[in-house]
Amino acid sequence: MILADFGTSYSKFLDLSAADPQPRILPTKDLDRSLHVALATGHNGKRFSGEYVNELIALARGAEALIPESSYLVLDCGSRDIKYIRYQDGQLLDMGWNAECGASMGFTIELLERYYNLDFSQLPVPKKTFSVTCGVLGISDIFDAITSGDGESEAVARFVKGIAINAYRFAGSPAKLYLSGGLCDNPLFVKSLPCQVESLGRFVLLNGLRRIQLSKS
Amino acid sequence: MKLHTSPNLDEIRQLLDRQHPRQVGIVGQPPRIVIAELNQRNIEILDLDAMLVHADMESTVTILPRVYCAILRTVVINALHLDLEAIFIDIGPGKCDSALYVATILQEKLTIPVLTTVNLDDQPCGHPQCLAELDLTEKFLAITEGVKSAQPAPNPPPPCRPSAGFWGVPPRDFSILANFPATTHVYGWSRCLENKTPANLALEMQINLEIPTVFFAQSFCAKTALARHLAARHPKALYLDIDVHTTNSARAKVQAFLELSGATL
Repeated sequence: MILADFGTSYSKFLDLSAADPQPRILPTKDLDRSLHVALATGHNGKRFSGEYVNELIALARGAEALIPESSYLVLDCGSRDIKYIRYQDGQLLDMGWNAECGASMGFTIELLERYYNLDFSQLPVPKKTFSVTCGVLGISDIFDAITSGDGESEAVARFVKGIAINAYRFAGSPAKLYLSGGLCDNPLFVKSLPCQVESLGRFVLLNGLRRIQLSKS
Repeated sequence: MKLHTSPNLDEIRQLLDRQHPRQVGIVGQPPRIVIAELNQRNIEILDLDAMLVHADMESTVTILPRVYCAILRTVVINALHLDLEAIFIDIGPGKCDSALYVATILQEKLTIPVLTTVNLDDQPCGHPQCLAELDLTEKFLAITEGVKSAQPAPNPPPPCRPSAGFWGVPPRDFSILANFPATTHVYGWSRCLENKTPANLALEMQINLEIPTVFFAQSFCAKTALARHLAARHPKALYLDIDVHTTNSARAKVQAFLELSGATL
């Protein structure tokens, strides 16, 4: 049985029938349109699956499987949107999903990385930041900064820091957060979050699906 | 042009005697005495707050700003496209300041009479639909249909034990109601509406702290402040702000909230 998190840029798969199930990643744009899996989540999940789980539920169930505490906040930063779930004493306290306004941040970061040929593991967290609420609109700040004489890497780093701060504020400015999603792999983004961060990686939703599937059987 | 700031029944009767309208529109909930007069004369009432016409919202931009309450933009669309002979707009504390401005604008733009009322009715008619076990969309259809009648609906359904709550005004886009259990109790202005006391703030502020509740706010509505305030006081609350259409993320938030907070679906 194959579980999948069909993200906007990348899709993550887990084959539960394998001897040692390990997640694998494919660019969503390369997916075979006839692909069909048993259980899925993500923006493209309904297209490719027999059963769909909404992303907030998959995130919550995945976090429950991975986080030992009963009070925590998990923030998922993906290619297209950001979402969070906050639990207190095992009870849902708050949630949010920023899919429309402030969208495409992760996707924009990846585009900038490729366009300017940057290595985010080598970039220091800049002192200054941009006030970024939208990945697409935020690009103007980068162009303006470069026009004003800033280096390209410095300008992009300020953009990434702005996105991190925006995501942190969206989640309610917590003292500590668990980070999920593709931006866990971006060291500059992780270091730019102004709080204690524990990265859970990009398979939290997949873990949620696994937990949901196991609870059925 | 003079604004009618109260249900001046003589004036309304003179208008009805003079024009013999067959179809009129209402905005908000005009006083029962006005609705009773219309009911008595068998005049068809159209609720202009509801989506009655499938026209592009952009057709309102010559009259209202784009960034404006979607319900009042819907009122304008309905007023422009429907064959109405008069409109009664409540501008009292049971509706909103924006309705006053929309009424003022429509008085200038339309050739039909646009009369304003201030509904201060305080005689409770009950809110059995809000407490009934019924599909939430059906429940809202019944509540909004009720504004066209001066009398409470006959045969009130029995109350059910609630598993979830929906607080707020009837949304412009009812599709947000689809994921709720039938045992959802309705709170907020919708409850005031069924009770035929739209200006009853105490009733509007009633909440049940025991059940997961979605606090719905129509974007750019003054009630967003109350929705957020009450949501902050509630231990199991989801504050939800929706504009013209229900987005996929809003729908998913409701679904996740109800499931993760333990509401029985």
